[in-house]
Amino acid sequence: MNKFNYLQPKTLYEASAVLNKENGSSIPFAGGTDILGLIKQDIISPQEVVNIKNIPGIDLISYSSGKGLRIGALVKIDELIHYPAINEKYSIISDAAKEIASPQIRNIGTIGGNICQRPRCWYYREDFDCIRKGGGDCYAYEGENKYHCVIGGGPCYIVHPSDMAVALLALDAKVTIFSGKESRTIDLKDFFILPEIDSENENILKPGEIVTEFIIPEIKPNTKSGYIKFKEREVWDFSVVSVGAVVQVNGKNIRSGRITFGGVAPIPWMEESTNKMLKGLEINDESLKKLTEEILRTAKPLSMNTYKLRLVRNLAKRLILALTS
Amino acid sequence: MARKIIKTKFELYEEKVETMAEIPAEDQEPLESNDKLKIIGKRISRIDGYDKVSGSAEYTFDKILPNMAFAKTLRCPFPHARIKNINIKKAKAIPGVLEIITHKNTKEIPWYYGSSLLFDNQVRYQGDEVACVAAETEKISEEAIKLIEVEYEELPFVVNSKEAMKDGAVKVHDNGNVPEWADRKYSRGNAEDGFNAADEIIENTFSTQVAVHNPMEPHCSVVNWDGGKLTVWDSTQGIFSVRDFVAQSLDIPASKVRVIKKFMGGGFGSKLEAGKYTVMAALLARKIGRPVKISLDRKEMNLSVGNRPGSVQKLKLGTKKDGTLTAMSHDSYGPMGAYPSGAGCAWPLRSLYKCANIDIKESSVYINAGRARPFRAPGHVQGTFALESIIDDLAEKIGMDPIQFRIVNHTEVDQDSNNPYTSKKLLDAYRKGAEAIGWYSRRKPKNSDNGPIKKGIGMASQIWWGGGVPPAYATLKLNRDGSVRVLAGTQDIGGGTYTILAQVAAEVLEIPIEKVNVSLGDTANHPYCNVSGGSLTAPSVTPAVYDAAVQMKNKLISGASAILEVPEDRLIYSDGIIKDKTDESNNTKISDVVRGMREQVLVTTGARNANPDGYAINTFGAQFAEVEVDTDTGKVKVLKIVAAHDIGRILNQTTMENQFHGGIMQGLSFALFEERIIDDYTGKVLTTNLHDYKVPTIMDVPEIEIIIVSDPDPLISPVGVKGIGEPAIIPTPGAIANAVYNAIGIRIKSLPITPDKVLMALQS
Repeated sequence: MNKFNYLQPKTLYEASAVLNKENGSSIPFAGGTDILGLIKQDIISPQEVVNIKNIPGIDLISYSSGKGLRIGALVKIDELIHYPAINEKYSIISDAAKEIASPQIRNIGTIGGNICQRPRCWYYREDFDCIRKGGGDCYAYEGENKYHCVIGGGPCYIVHPSDMAVALLALDAKVTIFSGKESRTIDLKDFFILPEIDSENENILKPGEIVTEFIIPEIKPNTKSGYIKFKEREVWDFSVVSVGAVVQVNGKNIRSGRITFGGVAPIPWMEESTNKMLKGLEINDESLKKLTEEILRTAKPLSMNTYKLRLVRNLAKRLILALTS
Repeated sequence: MARKIIKTKFELYEEKVETMAEIPAEDQEPLESNDKLKIIGKRISRIDGYDKVSGSAEYTFDKILPNMAFAKTLRCPFPHARIKNINIKKAKAIPGVLEIITHKNTKEIPWYYGSSLLFDNQVRYQGDEVACVAAETEKISEEAIKLIEVEYEELPFVVNSKEAMKDGAVKVHDNGNVPEWADRKYSRGNAEDGFNAADEIIENTFSTQVAVHNPMEPHCSVVNWDGGKLTVWDSTQGIFSVRDFVAQSLDIPASKVRVIKKFMGGGFGSKLEAGKYTVMAALLARKIGRPVKISLDRKEMNLSVGNRPGSVQKLKLGTKKDGTLTAMSHDSYGPMGAYPSGAGCAWPLRSLYKCANIDIKESSVYINAGRARPFRAPGHVQGTFALESIIDDLAEKIGMDPIQFRIVNHTEVDQDSNNPYTSKKLLDAYRKGAEAIGWYSRRKPKNSDNGPIKKGIGMASQIWWGGGVPPAYATLKLNRDGSVRVLAGTQDIGGGTYTILAQVAAEVLEIPIEKVNVSLGDTANHPYCNVSGGSLTAPSVTPAVYDAAVQMKNKLISGASAILEVPEDRLIYSDGIIKDKTDESNNTKISDVVRGMREQVLVTTGARNANPDGYAINTFGAQFAEVEVDTDTGKVKVLKIVAAHDIGRILNQTTMENQFHGGIMQGLSFALFEERIIDDYTGKVLTTNLHDYKVPTIMDVPEIEIIIVSDPDPLISPVGVKGIGEPAIIPTPGAIANAVYNAIGIRIKSLPITPDKVLMALQS
């Protein structure tokens, strides 16, 4: 662990100014559950750690009928489990929140941090000069790649570790980013980037930019949503794969919907082709078989992770059945 | 008290040990059965429980001495390298750095049975020690080790045992990757004839992973020199083994080394011997003239202090149609790491069932990785998984119930020596365990429940040593207020040794347990006891305390006789009061006896008796697992474990259950979660933290039911207890594996049984 300065700005402007440094030498600090590990294991060595928790106004949840849900970036994961409107209307968020880490971490970890956390890839976390740390190789490609991506990989084969990102993507959420002078709001799906574009960053944030809020549209009538996370341990584990779905149902059938996947790609994954099949889907054995065959159809598993395809398809089927029964 | 010296032989971790011991010369009256006792066998809370929950218990990791410096080790980042040069200038220049030792400024201290040195300039695994820094704070030490400039010549390496066994493989040591002593063979009868006589033969290959001990308290030492005398506080399972090794390494008399271990946060075999860290800390402390603390971080724990070696076991078993085993063979290899150790795992096959014809070949292979060490029932956990899996397959092949098959092959005599067992209640364990798990309502294999969740029940059997051995000694000191101190050079590694020794003293002397204090783990002040390993502690040390307490009682009766002027045979001892049988008003309390004898403290020292000639002493048991396999995900969830065991006498119902819970959780973890993974291309370990190296949470632990089927075994010792630390873990993985087979009809032959393996097996 290197020595660093600990800064405590009071406004977004101040925070952005001090974070606007090249080479990641300055890093925002909210819950700290990932950052501290990264610093202690010498994966990152920032000169400045910038506590953004003193910034007012970005730690609130609000729901307004017809407009939808707004969640500030500093909202704790645990708060998402207890907010009534989330439980009533956006159960995919509370489902996902309940699955994150441990109660201790949920009490301090924030939704913004969850979305921006770094990969768990053991080559990234261990002492390897891998491509995500600016080195030349992805050691997982021909190495121990049981937990790595089956689609969207190359030249780096991480999976994105966030549960909340998978849930928010299924909800067609938007994210607001403050970039020093102004804020902009973009679709969450445009927030994440594949390694072929940038193999060292999982999202588009530039130095000095801070995620401030998530905007989740009002759900349509008769919408059901849910999230299944598969992890090897019962609790306190990252997902091997996960599936989120938001579907508008019509009796036992689906009018339209979105299905998203975690643990399969370097970004939270969604496929237009699969979502298209959800439109007007009559639920029966055959249609579900067709749907699951479409999921990750273009995947190219690595030597040790073919099982993820079967796993994610089985879970997708399980989730769709649960939401439509 | 008359004593005699004997030569005693026993097996410790598959090694035949021969040692001398001083034992009581006369036969001792055994303790009565538990229903007649007041303290032994009951649920007695740990006497150190308050200290532990209040945080006042001082573990080695908590030890702070005035003016203490902190040491940190620089470890080789490569699997194999030669150190061409080390430059410590920059590191030494950091304010607060006190001293740095390397192979350049340290005399050669032989290590690993002379196969290497404390600082070897050839480093053979990622984690091998290169240098050690002492500084004002641990943080400064950490900074300093990063600034030590080491010029390495990276050498070719091998981290896979199969590769290492091939001709032309990279040699970890000059004498080859499987030295002569590491290739072990055993046979009895004629296996070929046995297989020829079989009606059915099954051959299969099983594999198990490398597992790391990962106790909660890391390996750590605090050392302090006082002139030429060294005191070492060490988180160790063997204070005397650490004392002797440290003394030898530093070339000072053992009498000048004092090793202390009071409380410990777990030791599963990796803490049985002295670590390099202790000696490095002592060298640094001597140079800087200050106490030094050294503690390993979780990464060092996962790289450098030992592991349960992996195994690849090819088993072949032949049986008659009636279930009689005609022959068994076991051919296995496994990695012992970069320095001499052992990776054998054939003992269960050699000893668990009646079988006249056996062939065994076990190879321990050098690879460029951390060294194998004994790990809770070394060899037996992996060996039992393979054996008990194939036994179930064989039973199925001849259409016999797996328990019936085991009953057919039950033996009342040790297959190695032909000696009878002092006691063996394994058949009772089968019967009671089967009842508790609902064995006879279990589905036939390859049946399937409706839906994706399949349930199954399986069982596995267990044999281990654990009868205890001499020498083990304990001293009792009785004070004028009637309170007693027990002193023994054993160590409580978390199993409850403090409590059970207090119980024995309190029971014999018929005093409240609150009056007993127990001091353990100090080589300077306590009589010798063995390491806390091999499930030796309770069966070795409790008889020594018993002997000391009986002597104390006799001494008190003798004293009372003189004080009361009543012949000894007219006195009765009851509840700490000695009375004249003919006139009960003529009595004295034991505290008054001490005073009356004009003594301040009465002292006795007891010894562990010899084991009986012509008998084998073993522990036995069977565990039963009920599991649920989700065929959509491949995940195995254990719903219940029933553990039915023969452990001789129960000393303390609560601590006994604690030991079983711990062993079963660790066994479940070995079956489903834990695995050290090395990247083949770089030779580096990927699982050096507790996220990537998975251990279960309490949410992964099922209901556990423990059934003890045994009574005290008076042939072993007057206390009649066997050890339970290791028996608890041995059958768990085998039972879970057999339950998984029962659930899905597919045999998973490699541990851990992870979801990906199950899912891929279901697919094919």
